[in-house]
Amino acid sequence: MTILKTSLHEAHLALNAKMAPFAGYDMPLQYTSVKDEVMAVREHAGVFDVSHMGEFFVIGPDAIAFVDHIVTNDFKNAEMLKAVYSPLCRENGTVIDDLIAYKLGSDRVLICVNASNIAKDWEWISSQVGSFDCQLSNLSDDFSLLAIQGPKAELILRDFGIKFPTEFPYYSILETTHEGEKIIVARTGYTGEDGFEVFSSHHYAKHLWDKLIFNGVKPCGLAARDVLRVEVCYPLYGHEINDTVTPLDAGLGWTVKMAKADFIGKSALEAYKPKYQLVKLSLERGIPREGYEVLNAEGQRIGTVTSGTMSVVTGKGVALALIEKAKAPADKKYLINIRNTNYEANFHSKAFVNGGHK
Amino acid sequence: MSNNIPSELKYTKDHEWAKVEGDTVTIGITDFAQSALGDIVFVELPEVGKTLNSHQTFGVVESIKSVSDLFSPLAGTVLATNSEVVNAPELCNAEPYGNAWLIKIKLSNPTEVNSLLSASDYQNFLSTL
Repeated sequence: MTILKTSLHEAHLALNAKMAPFAGYDMPLQYTSVKDEVMAVREHAGVFDVSHMGEFFVIGPDAIAFVDHIVTNDFKNAEMLKAVYSPLCRENGTVIDDLIAYKLGSDRVLICVNASNIAKDWEWISSQVGSFDCQLSNLSDDFSLLAIQGPKAELILRDFGIKFPTEFPYYSILETTHEGEKIIVARTGYTGEDGFEVFSSHHYAKHLWDKLIFNGVKPCGLAARDVLRVEVCYPLYGHEINDTVTPLDAGLGWTVKMAKADFIGKSALEAYKPKYQLVKLSLERGIPREGYEVLNAEGQRIGTVTSGTMSVVTGKGVALALIEKAKAPADKKYLINIRNTNYEANFHSKAFVNGGHK
Repeated sequence: MSNNIPSELKYTKDHEWAKVEGDTVTIGITDFAQSALGDIVFVELPEVGKTLNSHQTFGVVESIKSVSDLFSPLAGTVLATNSEVVNAPELCNAEPYGNAWLIKIKLSNPTEVNSLLSASDYQNFLSTL
């Protein structure tokens, strides 16, 4: 298989990024230091090339009804020019992917999916159209996607002359023209901070990237992106959610709207008793890693770490873990096994870090 | 990538350095290793008195995103460990050959030091990577 490159590949190499294969693409892991990149996003602004992600367009009179049918969250009642995060489930309730659907118009929807799942999602979604009056197109190769994240992101984009309304809350979207190019600007991201994602042509993305870097926005790689999302406890496909679990197993009950008339997976999810529960754990010393065992105070194995890292903000090892719901300890006492030693973990009911998103 | 290789030290293909003083050897990780790992945030070292075989795992260094085993280049007994680097793992990035030494061992077989790489051997090894 040939390794794919985003339109910014040369720019990453020019910045001496440490590159690594991810979802078939040669992607930047880090440029300078993961710590510096994380703190830039928490305190100032950073830019990520996430052009490897997939973009599907749904066009036609039934576009909104169709997307509402395939996702578990409520897309139909979302306001125009709003984005909705949702799992995409099979009839049996297991998760094919998680995605963001952008309501661009009464007959136009953009769906942004994980890079590693583009082929699987496309096959699934296009097989579900049936009698819905809409057309699908996979424009993943035609779009670049930059995520500009951090408390200064809004100011920087406004300074560049990208025009969006004064009132432009989190998960708002806008189609606009900037410097002669049509772009889609969304106030979305995966860092917990305020920030924007800009869908554009490859040509525009290269120009915007250079301008952002020139203006002191820190280039950030996938390593920092993963630390940022774990700090604010956002799930990642292939870790907290996968083909074998339902959204109800992974703390995503809030995205499953049983009040909807119907959606794929509804009857299975209505009847489903979750097997797993997602917990947030931290350690005073040591770093939990994916795959490490989670135990109760008696030392019985009850689950597995699905994502773990050192939190740059708190300076502690932090973990998301799926545990067997039936074995969830009432005393909230958990141990994590690291190299054959069990360490007491702190249980967190809230995210490790509060992002500043609006 | 940063790549300082002091000529007075010996090296291994696991990117560790060894300072040989009679039958006592001080061990750390090389500048190349710290640079490849990135921000080092955790170091775990053995108990003093532990007996190590050559190539045996004696601890770990972790960056934000990775875990790497440390291998003892030589057989011996742990004489001392550096608690300063355990408390401040970032020393591994700042001073890999200085304050970030990891352990001192007393050799079981002092002739084993002949198996280590010289600075120029290590330099040549890096150029093949």
